[in-house]
Amino acid sequence: MSGARVVWMVAKREIKTRMLTKANIISMTVMVVLIAVGAVVGNYFLHRDGEAPVLRIALAEEVADLRPDLEGSAEARGLTLELTTMTADEARAALDPDGDGDDEAPSAFLDGEPAAPRMLVATSPDGETADVVGAAVRSFATAQQIDELGGDPGAFAAAVAQAAPRVEAVGEPRNDQLDGAAFGVAIAMISLLFGALIGSGSMIAMGVVEEKTSRVVEILLAMIRPSQLLAGKILGIGVYGLFQILVLGGALALAALSLGVAGLDIDVGAALAWLVLWFLIGYTIYALLFGGFAALVSRQEDIGSVTTPLLFLLFIPFYATMFLVPSDPDGTLVRVLSQIPIFAPFMMPVRDAVGALQPWEMPLSVAIALATIPGLVWVAARVYQRGVLHTGGRMKLADALR
Amino acid sequence: MSELEIDHLFKSYGTVRALHDMTFTVRAGEIFGFVGSNGAGKTTTMRIMLGVLAADGGSVRWDGAELDLESRRHVGYMPEERGLYPKMKVGEQLRFLAGLHGMGPAEATAAVELWTDRLGVGDRRDDNVEKLSLGNQQRVQLAAALVHHPDVLVLDEPFSGLDPVAVDIMSTVLRERADAGVPVIFSSHQLDLVERLCDRVGIVQSGRMQALGTIDELRTTDRPQWLLEVDAPAQAVVAAAESVPGVRARVAPDQTGGVLVEQTAGTGADGGAEQAVLRAALALGPVRGFARVRPTLTDLFRDVVAQDKAVEPPPPPTVRRRFGRAGVAS
Repeated sequence: MSGARVVWMVAKREIKTRMLTKANIISMTVMVVLIAVGAVVGNYFLHRDGEAPVLRIALAEEVADLRPDLEGSAEARGLTLELTTMTADEARAALDPDGDGDDEAPSAFLDGEPAAPRMLVATSPDGETADVVGAAVRSFATAQQIDELGGDPGAFAAAVAQAAPRVEAVGEPRNDQLDGAAFGVAIAMISLLFGALIGSGSMIAMGVVEEKTSRVVEILLAMIRPSQLLAGKILGIGVYGLFQILVLGGALALAALSLGVAGLDIDVGAALAWLVLWFLIGYTIYALLFGGFAALVSRQEDIGSVTTPLLFLLFIPFYATMFLVPSDPDGTLVRVLSQIPIFAPFMMPVRDAVGALQPWEMPLSVAIALATIPGLVWVAARVYQRGVLHTGGRMKLADALR
Repeated sequence: MSELEIDHLFKSYGTVRALHDMTFTVRAGEIFGFVGSNGAGKTTTMRIMLGVLAADGGSVRWDGAELDLESRRHVGYMPEERGLYPKMKVGEQLRFLAGLHGMGPAEATAAVELWTDRLGVGDRRDDNVEKLSLGNQQRVQLAAALVHHPDVLVLDEPFSGLDPVAVDIMSTVLRERADAGVPVIFSSHQLDLVERLCDRVGIVQSGRMQALGTIDELRTTDRPQWLLEVDAPAQAVVAAAESVPGVRARVAPDQTGGVLVEQTAGTGADGGAEQAVLRAALALGPVRGFARVRPTLTDLFRDVVAQDKAVEPPPPPTVRRRFGRAGVAS
């Protein structure tokens, strides 16, 4: 029987026993539902004000000349204007504050001289109406005056609209302003990555120790190699972790798209692709460490003593990314750190998102990380092989490596 | 010639010597009982046989070839510390193990059904292992050792914790496998069971094989014993028996009034001293009983342990072979 088949059988068991448990199916469903609910609620709040409110103004016949100016001024403010024509008496009835409060009632009535109309309101003018009407009257009066002076009101308006300075910079624009949205998405992605690495790392550690405490490892090792068992476990839990990250990351991406974040010029698809690549690399590195080191202990309650140092290896790069990258995304320290395999999975996606990467940096860090993996495989397999049949207290790392 | 050869195994844990020149052979179709006190080296030997531990020297051969990872797939193993995934269904777990042993899915399913039914846990196939009682978990563990129709069976303490019904099932299954030509080796502290079930027995003490052979061979002694019961004072019977040359006698320790007669010097073929003793006894009074006393395995075991304590352990060997190097001469 080929080694690959053995590894796959071990992996398949891991996937099956983890994916098909009731607890997993329920928790995944709950999380996806929560994300969907979040998207719907977010949509409601984001787009509640999306429809321009309708502004209703009533006019008397004599101020009909104000119509184009009112319409222009409402449009400039993003308001929908509904103009009606009525007499002053009708308007008094419609505006009566003790009346039946009709929804369709105008907020103001204009009559008199168009350049200085009377504005009839219920009790006091609301700001928006006063603003729109004021602007319309000013523009009407300006046009009237220009016309009287023999000018062209259209040309005047066009000239005023174009009167703006042209900005020219002496040097290149500097990169110290972060694109907030892109940075936000990148942080969300590495947080997901961080969570997935912690989750699958602990799952591997617990799986290794479970096999040791239940002693099932002894019958397994009577027929397969320790390295095959470790590889199968890492592969199986990796597939499961990737499934989780794709489902949750995909749900988050869909939610982001539906909330219109896509309009902010972020390529969510590319961000997800990088997330998957760095998950695979980061997962391989950390899984080997967790799997190998967990074999040093024999009881679930001792797991903490080996996983705590490894969790620090996850916390440090994660927080270093959060604190160092925003202030100095292309500084020397960040550049050097982001080439180190345990930092790269966190730093690279964020630096990429804020556009602080030279074209060679990403491929170099991927290559360095990939080159580290065979060495880690050797160390992890050695520690695992020595540790996995050791029972009793915690085995010293030095003993396992000797 | 299907033989399982355990050939000069050495193993130390730090300064503790676990195995010292452990050598024996289990033939096809034979049940071999592995007996010894706690820490004598039985489990270490079995773990080395299964490749779970590496020996410091010596080799394990099956059919003349080194037992390697591939041939170990055909071994059924029940470790001393039982091990199954607690949160996995019985049937699924056994199918997984059968698969690792190289069985296809259909074949594995059939074998799982066969053995779980046979061992009386067929109705628990869809339960998680942790839900089963310890005795039933033990049956599942045996099913795990048998599911791939192994060519060799190595069972460490298979009877511990079993109820009498399960012991009977287990005994029947072991005999059946042996009759099918499978060498079966198991360790046990239940010596009566070993005595009843095994074709050959090995008694280990301090990591070395102290006595090896069939029960009858082990019982064979050049100092045969008889229990003599005569209607006469015990001291008189002792005196009468000792009047025969080459015979020593003492009052049996079990207070039944019998006398244990031991032939200390050979008088040739059977029908020598005991006939003279019987005649002397008849002269004293009516003989109620005169029977050969055969040592039980327990007696033999006690002897071995006692002997071992009397003898100083020999110095460690100067030349140690590395595991796997001691190949078969071709």
